[in-house]
Amino acid sequence: MSACCDTPAFIPPPPRSPSALRTVVLIGPPNSGKSTLFNRLTGLRQKVANYPGVTVEQRMGLMAGVGRPDLTLIDLPGIYSLTPYSEDARVSIDVLRGRMPGTPKPDAVIIVLDSQHLTRQLMLAAPVLAVGLPTLVLLNMSDLMESRGGHIDPLQLARELGAPVARISATHGTGLDAVSLFLNQPGNGTGAPPLTLPVLGNAASAHTWAAQVSRRTGYQAPLSVEGTRKIDNILLHRIWGPLLFLMVVIGVFEVVFSIGQPMSDGFGDLLARGADLIRPFLPAGWIQSLLLDGAWKGISSVLVFLPQILLLFLFIGILEDSGYLARAALIADRVMRTTGLNGKAFIPLLSAYACAVPAIMATRTIENKRDRMATILVTPFMTCSARLPVYMLLIAAFIPNTVFLHGFLGLRTIVMLSLYLAGFVGAMTTAWLLKSSILKSSETPFILELPQYRMPTLRSLGMRLVDRGGVFMRQAGTVILSVTLALWVLAHIPPIHLGNNSWAPPELADSMIGRLGHFIEPAIAPLGFNWKIGIGLLSSVLAREVMVSTMGTLYGADPDTQAMHLQTALHHDMTLGGALALMIFFAFAMQCTSTMAVVRRETNSWKWPAVQFLYMLALAYGAAFLVNHITMMFLG
Amino acid sequence: MNQKRADLGFPAGLKSVQEPDSQRRGLRMLFHQLRRPLICNSDRFGPILNYDLSSRSLRVLPFSSPAGVVRQVSILSQLKVGERAILVALNLPESVQNHLMHMGFVPDAEILVLRRAPAGDPTVYLIDGMEIALRHETAEAISVRPCESVVAQSSDAAKTNPSSVEEDSALQLAEARR
Repeated sequence: MSACCDTPAFIPPPPRSPSALRTVVLIGPPNSGKSTLFNRLTGLRQKVANYPGVTVEQRMGLMAGVGRPDLTLIDLPGIYSLTPYSEDARVSIDVLRGRMPGTPKPDAVIIVLDSQHLTRQLMLAAPVLAVGLPTLVLLNMSDLMESRGGHIDPLQLARELGAPVARISATHGTGLDAVSLFLNQPGNGTGAPPLTLPVLGNAASAHTWAAQVSRRTGYQAPLSVEGTRKIDNILLHRIWGPLLFLMVVIGVFEVVFSIGQPMSDGFGDLLARGADLIRPFLPAGWIQSLLLDGAWKGISSVLVFLPQILLLFLFIGILEDSGYLARAALIADRVMRTTGLNGKAFIPLLSAYACAVPAIMATRTIENKRDRMATILVTPFMTCSARLPVYMLLIAAFIPNTVFLHGFLGLRTIVMLSLYLAGFVGAMTTAWLLKSSILKSSETPFILELPQYRMPTLRSLGMRLVDRGGVFMRQAGTVILSVTLALWVLAHIPPIHLGNNSWAPPELADSMIGRLGHFIEPAIAPLGFNWKIGIGLLSSVLAREVMVSTMGTLYGADPDTQAMHLQTALHHDMTLGGALALMIFFAFAMQCTSTMAVVRRETNSWKWPAVQFLYMLALAYGAAFLVNHITMMFLG
Repeated sequence: MNQKRADLGFPAGLKSVQEPDSQRRGLRMLFHQLRRPLICNSDRFGPILNYDLSSRSLRVLPFSSPAGVVRQVSILSQLKVGERAILVALNLPESVQNHLMHMGFVPDAEILVLRRAPAGDPTVYLIDGMEIALRHETAEAISVRPCESVVAQSSDAAKTNPSSVEEDSALQLAEARR
C-alpha cells in the first residue's frame, strides 16, 4: 500500500515468557474498524458496515489469519469510554475486565483507533492502558490519514503511552505484521504505564491529556473531506433528500421485479429440469413421489426467489457500507419522534428489512431500556426478506403487470411498496401505543455520529451475498426440507387398502393434512382463505418462507393441480380478496420462531414474545378480514 | 414569550440557559415561566441553573473563563447554519454529559453548525472533525460563547494551525486547575 504502514514502532521489550498469552481482545471506539481487523486476523467473516454500532456482542475467533491458531481473538462492540451507557458498551467493558461469564479473561489488548480523529480517540486509550494488560495500539485508516495530509510520529506516541504503536490499514491489510510481532513478545510496554495517565472517569481531564499527547507526537489531523459534505448537500437537502430516498426505494423494487423476476423464472426452470433429469434414476412409486413431488417441489418453490433476495441484499449492503444508513436515521428522526422513539431506533429498524433477528440484537445500542424494549417489540413488523417470496408469489399470480408513467412505475411495484409501507405504519403505530402507555419514559437525547461516506468494496458486498445466500440455502435444507417431508407424509396417510397387498394414497381432502385443514377452515374462511392456505399459515409459524414451500407441496400432491405452475394453481384456487388479505396477513403476523427465540433471549422472559405474537396475530387477522371484505364489496 | 418577559422588566433578547425557543412544553413551561425571571440572569452570572426543569442533574462543570473576555453565554440551538462557537458547558444529566464529552463535546472545543436535517430538527454539528447530530432539546442544554473572543486573544500560531486553539485553551484550563 504505502510506505507508512510497514515500520511498526516499538519500545525495546522487557523479556517475558510468551506462553502466558492465550486470549486477546480488540477494543476501540465505534466504527474504528475493529471487526474489519478481526476478519483480517481470524479469516472469519464477521459483519462489517460503515456505521457505528454494527457489532453488538462479543465474537471469538482463532487468529489463523496471522498464523497463530493457538490464540483466541475477541471482537467487541465499540465504546467511547469505560463508563457503560448502553447494553453493547456494557458487554465490552465486562469482557475487558474479565467479568463476563463464559468468556475467557483477556491476556492482552489491542486498541484500534481511527487515526483520522486521533485526539478524540486517544481519550479511550488512557483508561484501557490503565487496566494494566499488555497493550498494542493500532492506528487504523492511516493510509486515508496520510493521503489527506495528516501526520503522526508513532515512535513518540509509543513513548507517551508506554505501549507499542503501529500504523495499519485493516481494509487493505497493511501493517499487520506489527500484530504478529506483538503476539510473539506480548510483554512490550507492560513495564511502566506512563505516570501522566489522567484520572479515570473524568472526561475533561482525559481530553486535556489526549490533546497534550497528540500535540507532543506532532499529530496533525487530516484535512476534512469535502466529498462527504458535498454528497450530504444533496442527500440531506430539504427537498431533494427525502425525494431521492423515495426514488431509491422505488428503484430497488423496480429492479427486483424487472431484473429479478426473469432471473427467478430462469432459475425455477433450471430446478424443474434438474428434477426431470433425476427422475429416471429413481425407482417409480413412493420414493420418487416423496423426493421429487414432495421435497424437491417444496424446496425449489422457495429457492426460485434466491436471485431476488440476493438483489435486495445487494442494495441493503450498498446502503450500509456507504454510510447512508446513519443519514436515513437522521431524515427519519422527525417521524420517530412523533412515536416517542429515539431516532437511533431507526438503524435497527432499517436493518430489519433484511432480517429481524440481527435487528433485535442491534437494539442493544439504544441507551434507554424502555425505548429498547419498544423497538424490540415493533421490529418484527418491518418487512423482512422472508416475506419477499410470499409477496412475490402472490403478486405475480394476482396483480396484472400494468405500468404507469411510461413504464417507470408498475402496478406490482406499487402493491409491493404499499405492503412495505403497511409494515412500517404498523410498527410506528404500535411504537406510539407502547410509548404512550406501558413503556412511557422521559426522552433520552438523540446522539448520532455520521460516518464519512466510503465506496463499498466489492469484496465486502460479495461476502455479504455469499453469507446471506448460505443462510437461505441452509434454511431450505433444514427447516423447509423437514416441513415438506412431514407434509408429504401427512398428505399420504392413512393409505387406502385396495386389496391384494396394494395401497394407494388417500384423496388429499381425506388425508391427515386434509382433515386438519378442514378442521381449522371455519376460523380462516372469513379472511377468504381455503384449507390449504390454512395449512400454509400453520407451517409458516416456523418461518415465513415455509408458506411457499407448503403451497408447492400441497398443490403438487393434489392431482387436479399437480401439472400446474404454482402461480396458476393459486390463481385457480383463490379470489383476489383472499390474496390481498393473505398479503396483509403476512405484513402484520409474527411468523418466525427464530425471532421469538431472540426476543426471549434479549428480554429474558417468554412473556414478551408471547404478548408480541398474540398482538400481531390479532392485528393480522383483523386487517386481513377488513381487506377481504372491502375487496369483495368493490368487486361484487 | 419574549413580549411577556419584556413586561416583567427584562431587556429584549436576553438569553438564559434553560429556556426552550418554542412553547412545545405547553402548560408545564408556562408554569415555570411564571416563576422564572427573578433569579436567572445567565449573562451576568454565567451558567447558573436556578432550578431543575426535567429531573436533570444540576451538575454544571466549572469552566474557567479566559481573563479579560466579556462573557456572552448563549445556547447552541440558537446558532444558525454555518455559524461557529466555542463550547462552554453541558447542562445535561451526568451520563449523557460524559458520553457527549467522549464524543468531543469538551469545554473550549470549537463547534460548527453544519446543516439541519430535511425535517428541520436534528442538527448536524462539526466538532473535532466529526459530524454529530443532536436534537433541538439536547442542543438547548449546551451553552456556548462566540468564537471571535478566543481568536482575538490567541497567538499567531493559532491562526496557522486551527487545532492548536483548542489545545492551548485546554492547557490553560489544566493550569488554572492547579
